[in-house]
Amino acid sequence: MRTKPSKRLLELTINGETYELAVEPQETLSEVLRNRIGLTGVKEGCGTGECGSCTVLVEGEPVLGCLLLAVECERKRVETIEGQAEEGVLTPVQQAFLEKGAVQCGFCTPGMVLASTALLKRRPNPSEEEIQEALEGHLCRCTGYNKIMEAVLHAASSAADKR
Amino acid sequence: MGDLEYVGKRILRKDGPEKVTGQAVYTVDLQLKNMLVGRILRSPHAHARIVRIDTTRARQVPGVKAVITGKDTLGVKHGFVETPRYPADQYPLAMDKVRFIGEEVAAVAATDVYAADEALRLIEVEYEPLPAVFDPEEAMKPDAPEIHPTHPKVKEPVMNIGGKTTSEWGDIEAGFKEADYVREDRFESHLRTHGYLESQATVASFEPDGKLNVWTSSQGPFLKRAKLAKTLGLPFSSVRVLKTYVGGAFGGKVDLFSHEFCAALLSMKAARPVKIVATREEVFTAFKHGQPLIVTVKTGVKKDGTLVAQQYRVINNPGAYRGSGVVVIFLAWGFAMPPYRIPNFKYEGYSVFTNNPVRTAQRGHGAPQLRFAVESQLDMIAEELGLDPIEIRLKNARESGEQLPNGDNVHNCGLKDCITEIARHTDFHHARGGRGENSSQRYKKGIGIGVSSYFGGSLIYPNSSSVIVKMNDDGSVTLLTGALDIGQGAETIHSQIVAEELKIPMDEIQVIAADTETTPVDIGSWISGNAYVCGNATRVAAGNVRKQLLELASQQLEASIDDLVLKDKKVYVAGSPSKALTYGELVALSIQTRRGDPIIGEGHWRTMRDEPTHPSLATTKGRWTENYAFDAQTAEVEVDTETGKVRLLRAVTAHDCGFPINPLLVEGQIDGQVSMALGHAFMEEIMMEEGRTLNPNWLDYRMPCIRNIAPSEHIDVITEQYTVGQPYRTKEVGEGYVSAILAAIANAIYDAVGVRLFSTPFTPEKILRGLSIYS
Amino acid sequence: MYLPRFAFEKPTSLKEASSLLTEKAVKSTLLAGGTDLLPRMKYGVADPERLISLKGLGVSAPKVLPEGDLILDGASTLASVALSPEVAENAPLLAAAAGRVATREIRNVATLAGNLCQDTRCLYFNQRHTFQFVEPCFKRGGDFCYFIPKGKKCWAVYMSDTAPALICLGAKIQVEGDGAGALLDLEALYSGDSLHPLTIGSDTIISGIRVPPTGGTRGWAFSKLTLREGMEFGALNIAVLLETGKDPGTCTRARIAVGAVSPAPVRALKSEGLLVGGPFSPALLAEAARQVAEEVTVIPHHGYSKWYLTRALEVEALNALTRAVNQLTGGR
Repeated sequence: MRTKPSKRLLELTINGETYELAVEPQETLSEVLRNRIGLTGVKEGCGTGECGSCTVLVEGEPVLGCLLLAVECERKRVETIEGQAEEGVLTPVQQAFLEKGAVQCGFCTPGMVLASTALLKRRPNPSEEEIQEALEGHLCRCTGYNKIMEAVLHAASSAADKR
Repeated sequence: MGDLEYVGKRILRKDGPEKVTGQAVYTVDLQLKNMLVGRILRSPHAHARIVRIDTTRARQVPGVKAVITGKDTLGVKHGFVETPRYPADQYPLAMDKVRFIGEEVAAVAATDVYAADEALRLIEVEYEPLPAVFDPEEAMKPDAPEIHPTHPKVKEPVMNIGGKTTSEWGDIEAGFKEADYVREDRFESHLRTHGYLESQATVASFEPDGKLNVWTSSQGPFLKRAKLAKTLGLPFSSVRVLKTYVGGAFGGKVDLFSHEFCAALLSMKAARPVKIVATREEVFTAFKHGQPLIVTVKTGVKKDGTLVAQQYRVINNPGAYRGSGVVVIFLAWGFAMPPYRIPNFKYEGYSVFTNNPVRTAQRGHGAPQLRFAVESQLDMIAEELGLDPIEIRLKNARESGEQLPNGDNVHNCGLKDCITEIARHTDFHHARGGRGENSSQRYKKGIGIGVSSYFGGSLIYPNSSSVIVKMNDDGSVTLLTGALDIGQGAETIHSQIVAEELKIPMDEIQVIAADTETTPVDIGSWISGNAYVCGNATRVAAGNVRKQLLELASQQLEASIDDLVLKDKKVYVAGSPSKALTYGELVALSIQTRRGDPIIGEGHWRTMRDEPTHPSLATTKGRWTENYAFDAQTAEVEVDTETGKVRLLRAVTAHDCGFPINPLLVEGQIDGQVSMALGHAFMEEIMMEEGRTLNPNWLDYRMPCIRNIAPSEHIDVITEQYTVGQPYRTKEVGEGYVSAILAAIANAIYDAVGVRLFSTPFTPEKILRGLSIYS
Repeated sequence: MYLPRFAFEKPTSLKEASSLLTEKAVKSTLLAGGTDLLPRMKYGVADPERLISLKGLGVSAPKVLPEGDLILDGASTLASVALSPEVAENAPLLAAAAGRVATREIRNVATLAGNLCQDTRCLYFNQRHTFQFVEPCFKRGGDFCYFIPKGKKCWAVYMSDTAPALICLGAKIQVEGDGAGALLDLEALYSGDSLHPLTIGSDTIISGIRVPPTGGTRGWAFSKLTLREGMEFGALNIAVLLETGKDPGTCTRARIAVGAVSPAPVRALKSEGLLVGGPFSPALLAEAARQVAEEVTVIPHHGYSKWYLTRALEVEALNALTRAVNQLTGGR
């Protein structure tokens, strides 16, 4: 068994807050977020990059927390699902997922919401093809994706109505 | 159902906000103080005697706090089915033999996963390999290696029979003689899995006072408690299974799993909480998948399409222990007999042990496999006789009030309406053959139909549901139910029922659920009975509260109960809204005038309340259910004749669902099942070789992604209704729609390109091979 | 699943990275995006003592030299390659291929050089071996193959999507190692040996990819055959690049590269030969597609049979060739 490598002090910026942690190199971003900081909204469905449940935003881009080392995320802006709603007010994407019935067991939901949020930021009015491209890495076994697609389209159009 | 405010409405799910903000806590998210990590050692042999296990070196690894093997257990077996005929047959940790690759042999709890896995590596196990067999038909042969002795009630010379189901009525030989046309076909459904996004996980904490607290990803805590208590030798009162959110289950988290037992026993030994989380790979290799079925069906019809005789031989491959194998051979019978009238019928089903991981229920539990066979064959028969698929189904479909051969009654049956409605809605007859456009196209279209039936609730432990509705001093309500929300929306629909009975807003109903200590028993979310059984229990409990409110108000307001109206947490006299009392006032009144009694209502319900017990799994005798759901589904497909790839263009579900308690949730169930059937049809297959899984990951076991969305429409055929204060029969919607659609897809492919498929999945290769026969 | 323990360095220059990598005392591996390496480490089929991260090095944006060569930093993410205007303009075939790799989340961190250097894959290899397939096969240092039990070699296949595209484009790679740098043809990177698919050592770094400029007009196509799209490796993939001179109907250069069906990307040389010189016609394309399926020996893999892959290859080849020709001739 390998000996424990030395921990290094790491400064992570998560949902706008700064955390200083002693972290081993092999700890993934998901593990640190979930186990060290307690942000269990970051799910892990497989750990090998195949399901999208662990999606978080790093510098606004959706990436897989299970395949990123925490030590590589220093000084990068990390956002999880817990950082989306502000003071209890749900974002348009979160609200749309609720209203359209796009949530069943909820396990894929954080990843879906974050990836959809990132999509709408760069493409406020996406086509169905663009939504598929953004979410094709996210497995959902409950909804069949129909209502998820509706939710994202609805979030896009209701944001458009507000503009 | 005109003046209902909550039931039948598209109410947003109560747990939605928690899920959408990441606040929902699943078992895998739990962190207890001083918690240890548990890991399991698994057998590399498909069949072997365990000669010796030495855990000495493992125990010496720094950080290791407990190591267990079969010898540390009480040697108490468990099983999905535990009846006198089919007693429990699996040890939670192997004792003297292992019978599948991945079988649990030992477990370790340590302070971190590295220490735990190091300890696993240092456990020395000496095996004496034995011959193994993996195919059920091979395993039945007289010279097959014996995995378990054949069931004593099976007298014919076949090996490895875990169970047998037989059923017969009429005179099958006479039936076939009477038929104008007889054909026999064999269909095979392959191994597939649930694919729940939340892996299997358990946290067990044995407290100093002797209480075992368990959180586990499941489909109902009461069954888990019973099996844990039994295998651990603890009284039920010492075992508490608490609620966590569940990230999907679909039949794969029902009965006892080794890791649950191990987490508990390790915690007892280490005196610290233990968490065991299965890796996704472990879930694919060693956990319980669905049941592959071989269905041979021989059918005789008159030339006008009337069914005269049908004979089945079903062979199941449940793996190395009985699992739910003996249930699925019963259910395959159960899914064969409701939709159509079959005057002469014979059924024989075998559940055959093989050296594969144990299999369990998967959404539909035999219906997809069975309906795929029957509905495909029915189309072949129709074609032979020059009848059309709609006509032949209508000719044989059951109607309301029909008595079934097993003594059940279908009650309100909307099957014929489902068939005619769906035919009209899809313009079925014109849609056939790609609307005449197919001939020289690369892409050919087709439409197919399938019919199925499902049951809502049956008598299998824990059997019944109880609910308590407590009124709080301010007139809001707390609902205590053992029902577990596994994503289907249980807590929401029960709140809707309470809201309707008591005219209380949804957000004034707090739900406490699925805790064996604090909530009353529930049958579990795996027997398709949540809406019907637990829902009626909720109704009774809420009705009980309503009765108390009305009685108190009647006295106080000096009005007859018939003149009182409930609305907005108030009771008032009809026509004189100022003569009112709020619920809060009524609670206070109760305490004042009823010697301190607050307002609490309890309700209990069970399906078939006058039946003593479940039907015989072996003979099918006895009442099965009082709640039959029916549906017809169509699939419109496009086949690329050059690549063999098939796209599902449109799925329509016409369902006799009784009535939907929450149409938004029902739609979600339909969409999800169409997607699951799509996966079953086109892309999902667990590939195994000599007991080992080749594709234990989501890269190579392909579940549908958002690229594979199938437009899913539905037609509600309403055959029941909800009336406040009355028992209701709403049918099930959680498992019934994965079956007919599978057959519809097979039939649609045939309609498009003339390729008849007899086994799932319908891969591009199978279609190309089918096409190449004609070219 | 969790990662094994390892030491970790994050150099800030290519020179420093190279020198750490070549240190003999410690078994080091480069960590670029990690989307190929980290899953393999979780499966226990890669076990470096130390990871050398490339994330400390800056990543240069794509640039086009005055001569017309497109220069890409090896550490460019696949997302940036797929979305770059320079790549879209100068090597759209590469943009298309890069955009088909995995999913958006993966492409946001996976690197181009990493994609080119991915290990070969096999169902029996890419999983943990604690209780399944415990005895090591050839690829794990043993002496037999699970897939072909009577076989005498490893049959793992190489599945990169960007490699066939870059090979068609005639790309070269800049390789750094042991102080000296070299510019190699990308095709020369691949050994054809499932066990050691790359001809460069694990102590070298691909720092850049250079795509030469176009001669004439180009028509191209990239196809990846999957069962459902999404997070999926191809059953096969094929890249086609056709060049014409002044006369759009006459092909001056043809490149066809096929991936996922052998231990290295394979060029269909005879098929290329058929296309050069002749005017494009449906009959010629059909013949060329047939030739691709004939000359490329497909290895069955990941549950796909040879019967199926061979037929599928012909269909995909014809499809790709037709699309490429349509680009050149405007569909005429």
